[in-house]
Amino acid sequence: MNSICTSLRIFYLEDNPLIVFHVEALIEDLGHIFAGSAASFAELTSNLDISEIDGALIDIDLADGRTGPNAAAWLQERGIPGIFVTGQVEVAAEHPGLVIGTIEKPVCLEELASALGVLKRHLSSGLE
Amino acid sequence: MTGRDDSLDWALILAPYRRDAEYLRTLLAEHEVAVRQATGPDELAVRLTEAPGILVVTHEALNPAILNIIAEHLTNQPDWSEMPIIILLDRTARHPQIRAKLSATWPRSRQIYYQRPVAALELLSGVQSALLARLRQRDVRNHIEREVELRRELNHRVKNILASVTAIFGMTRRNVTSVDQLADDFSGRLTALSNVHSAVFDAGGETVDLADIIERTCLPYRSGGKDRIIAKGSSVHVGRDAGTTIALCLHELATNALKYGALSRPQGQVHLDWELLTDSEPVLTMRWIESGGPPVAQPSKPGYGTLYVRSALRGLFGSPPQIIFNSEGLRCIATGSFSRFR
Repeated sequence: MNSICTSLRIFYLEDNPLIVFHVEALIEDLGHIFAGSAASFAELTSNLDISEIDGALIDIDLADGRTGPNAAAWLQERGIPGIFVTGQVEVAAEHPGLVIGTIEKPVCLEELASALGVLKRHLSSGLE
Repeated sequence: MTGRDDSLDWALILAPYRRDAEYLRTLLAEHEVAVRQATGPDELAVRLTEAPGILVVTHEALNPAILNIIAEHLTNQPDWSEMPIIILLDRTARHPQIRAKLSATWPRSRQIYYQRPVAALELLSGVQSALLARLRQRDVRNHIEREVELRRELNHRVKNILASVTAIFGMTRRNVTSVDQLADDFSGRLTALSNVHSAVFDAGGETVDLADIIERTCLPYRSGGKDRIIAKGSSVHVGRDAGTTIALCLHELATNALKYGALSRPQGQVHLDWELLTDSEPVLTMRWIESGGPPVAQPSKPGYGTLYVRSALRGLFGSPPQIIFNSEGLRCIATGSFSRFR
């Protein structure tokens, strides 16, 4: 986990390829590493190697339904902190314990920067 | 028979004298009107929460506690509701005073009065027409619920579209050198997005024929009756999101071909074909093959088009597309499970 000193490896769970495309570029702008994406909870659990990522951005509504909260819980059980990225902040607010933050869509660079800052601090405090 | 607890198609009877209750129950049951009964205030309060279609009360039941419970229920009715109440009064009762009192106490209810003894047929037809009126209220309720649902869905869609537009703008901005180029590229992409929306809307449902999407996307590249993009494939229905991604990718490939590739020369052509194999798990393959253009070389730094096509097709097909800068022309080939297209 020495990557937390420098760049974070961020996975993105989102089913709109345009948004993935944009956020991938924003993550790289912020000096972090885009570690891949999945469009559904099912795809996440079948494809993801959790040793390859430090944190995840998670949409609430995915290709297999409102499975974002399930995905956040699944990642949390495996020690991967998540951040909701959603147009439905009221749904995100129903699951406060599953993630360390929420970003409202559309995503802007400043908000993403501050959420990834929180993630970075969360990861370093977890190591103490 | 009653259906769901909010079906509003049954009669609630409030008749303290057992013989009255039995008589009403038998009469209505014989004519297939579902009935539930309440004997006292507590039971009445519970039954009212079960959403009765109509209420039938006898004279003896009208004590202050009962009047209050019913009044409270009526006050809290949703806007579409105006519960019919059938009231059976004794012949000796002072009808005008009772009517005045009840219409003041019970807001937003349709009150129907009968004087006992009442002929079975008369009472039955009163109950049936009141239930019918109640079912019309239920239709209004269902309509309102559907509208609320549609508004929520619309809000969700609009937010998604705005998020897509923000992403397109954010990415277009990075890959241009002038305001004019920004305007051209951005409006081209918005038009492609808008065309897919029309295609899905015109298809009348949540799926659209891939052939229709391709036809609309390629329409601007048809000049003088001659197809510059020769598209060939069977009818394949795809979901809204998959259709959107395909259309936006084709838009990028086509504009790229027009600027640098096959479509930049009069004799240049694009062959676009797609095929769905359904042997075991359905697999879709799409091929975009350019020919007759200038010699193609791999660009030193990939632009928006290449990056987007690669990222979007990888997400949609489950594996990255092959984008080959062949000297005879660019080729883009994507193949993968059809499951994500639905």
